[in-house]
Amino acid sequence: MSADLALSIRNLALSFKSWSGTSQVLHGIDLEIKRGERVALVGESGSGKSVTARIILGTLHELKSARISGEVWVAGREMSSLSQSERQALRGTDISMIFQDPTTALNPVYTIRQQFHEVLMRGDPKISLSTAEQRSADILREVSITDTERVLESYPFQLSGGMNQRVMIGMALINEPQLLLADEPGTALDVTVQAQTLRLMRDLVRQHGTSVLFISHNLGVVREFADRIYVIYKGRIVETGPAASIFDDPRHAYTKALLAAIPRLTGGGIPEIQEDSEAFFDPMVTHEDVSA
Amino acid sequence: MNSILSVLARRLATTTLVLFGVSVLIFLIARIIPGDPARIALGPRATPEQVERMRETLHLNEPLVTQYFYFLSDLLRGDLGISLYTNRPVMTDIAQFLPATLELVLLAGIFMVAIGLPLGALAARHRGGWPDNIIRVLTLMTVSAPSFVWAVILVLLFSYYLPLFPIAGRIHETIMIPPVTGFMLIDTILAGSWDGFWSALHHLILPAFALSLSGIGQAARLTRSNMVEVYDQPYIEMAQSYGFPEDRIARKYAFKPSLIPSLTIIGLDFAALLGNAFLVETIFAWPGISRYGVGVILQKDLNAIVGTVMIISATFLIANIIVDLLVAYINPRIRYAERSK
Repeated sequence: MSADLALSIRNLALSFKSWSGTSQVLHGIDLEIKRGERVALVGESGSGKSVTARIILGTLHELKSARISGEVWVAGREMSSLSQSERQALRGTDISMIFQDPTTALNPVYTIRQQFHEVLMRGDPKISLSTAEQRSADILREVSITDTERVLESYPFQLSGGMNQRVMIGMALINEPQLLLADEPGTALDVTVQAQTLRLMRDLVRQHGTSVLFISHNLGVVREFADRIYVIYKGRIVETGPAASIFDDPRHAYTKALLAAIPRLTGGGIPEIQEDSEAFFDPMVTHEDVSA
Repeated sequence: MNSILSVLARRLATTTLVLFGVSVLIFLIARIIPGDPARIALGPRATPEQVERMRETLHLNEPLVTQYFYFLSDLLRGDLGISLYTNRPVMTDIAQFLPATLELVLLAGIFMVAIGLPLGALAARHRGGWPDNIIRVLTLMTVSAPSFVWAVILVLLFSYYLPLFPIAGRIHETIMIPPVTGFMLIDTILAGSWDGFWSALHHLILPAFALSLSGIGQAARLTRSNMVEVYDQPYIEMAQSYGFPEDRIARKYAFKPSLIPSLTIIGLDFAALLGNAFLVETIFAWPGISRYGVGVILQKDLNAIVGTVMIISATFLIANIIVDLLVAYINPRIRYAERSK
């Protein structure tokens, strides 16, 4: 793996073994994220995008029924070759993750301050309370929270969804991870709040130089955020390329269908969505990166 | 902290109302039970004049409401009347028998929490694994048999075949301890007798354990199922995504939220120990209030029945208040809801 890559996935396949047999979830996918790059993985529910994030995070390796093959390189290390505790050591320090619903992802019985402190201890187990306090307040100001004192002493249920989302973004970035996984961030929020927090997150990862894998089912949300896009369908990458060229010139039948599925303000009501078609299984389309 | 105090104030107020309701109920039940209390008190050979005089002193000829106020004002002065069974003031009987039961029930409650909760948490932490399976089978066994069955089994195993624990009583018969509080563990310390303290503890362990066994199973199963549910919450996945060690996640992230629904039920189970104590007290010849309560019911000793039921309800309510305070302490939502009132 070359040094300028934050994440490199080679021929990753995943299947789940159960009593009734084996079901193949990922059919050998390749994916790369350069340092500081924001990449989106887009596909419908069940396409395998969330499990991909769990494999990168190393949590799916713990599941006995999961069969994982291929290579996943994060921070210069191959996840499958690491022990459980080595994978665990990467989490919260080199990789962190943002979840769909910020209000249920934060623990209900601890204050935001206590939760920040726990996360900071992943980076520095001996961190003093005052340093932790200082750093938590700093990162909260970075996510545009001004009354840091009040937010820190609050429990998640006392804050709005948008506020919790900012807290979660701050928490994910506070240990300066190399790679940030964002699994459908803010899907549980209303659209305006989601747009606001995503813009905030984009600016922040740009400043921090964090590489991001942004997972979404919504191409519209991804448009503003990502440099490059991978479209995934039933465990296969069907199209990949720079965001602009995917939007201007979708070539794979599935990407076209996905783009057509975005409701538009200009009318037409609910868009016609194609049924599954044979064309969705066409070979992968790669857009040349013009800047490269 | 203020919010905890306000929870306490609110619960004390409602508890007073409940106790008032209990007193009305018990008073009415005692009057509705067939048979003239005066005649029962005097026995079959009393003359009609004697019975009539007794009815006068017991205010039985007054209307029910007046009778209730006599009863209530006596109650507030701590006078529960004379027991026909022991011929002593009911208050004296209760003061003598209640501490023995409280000692038993408190230790059983400690066993329930100190053994049941960790077992349940351990099972949930290793859900689906062998510790989980073993704990589930064991706890199912303990909840499937009532406590007196366990009492008999434990006596047979650990007092008879393996004479590790005494078979009956509260303390070794050669040790004489002057009763001060009625709590043997405290009285032995007050008397400065360490031998007595260890002997009292030795006598207490087996009956308390027998009494607590089904509670331990109940608490463990409840904790397990609530905690397994918590493990499916997004905040556990988030904790795992931050690489916290699994044991820390179990202790800090999964156990504490799972206590919120468990505690209320464990509190009720704890209070139910008072009722279950009767057969265990009988088997271990334990001079407690449950055994006394059943004795006076069989004798139709009205004053004593009323007094015992009042005291047991009060203990039940106090246990509930303590649980409410614990839940408020753990659940921030309750504390803040209280603060905004």
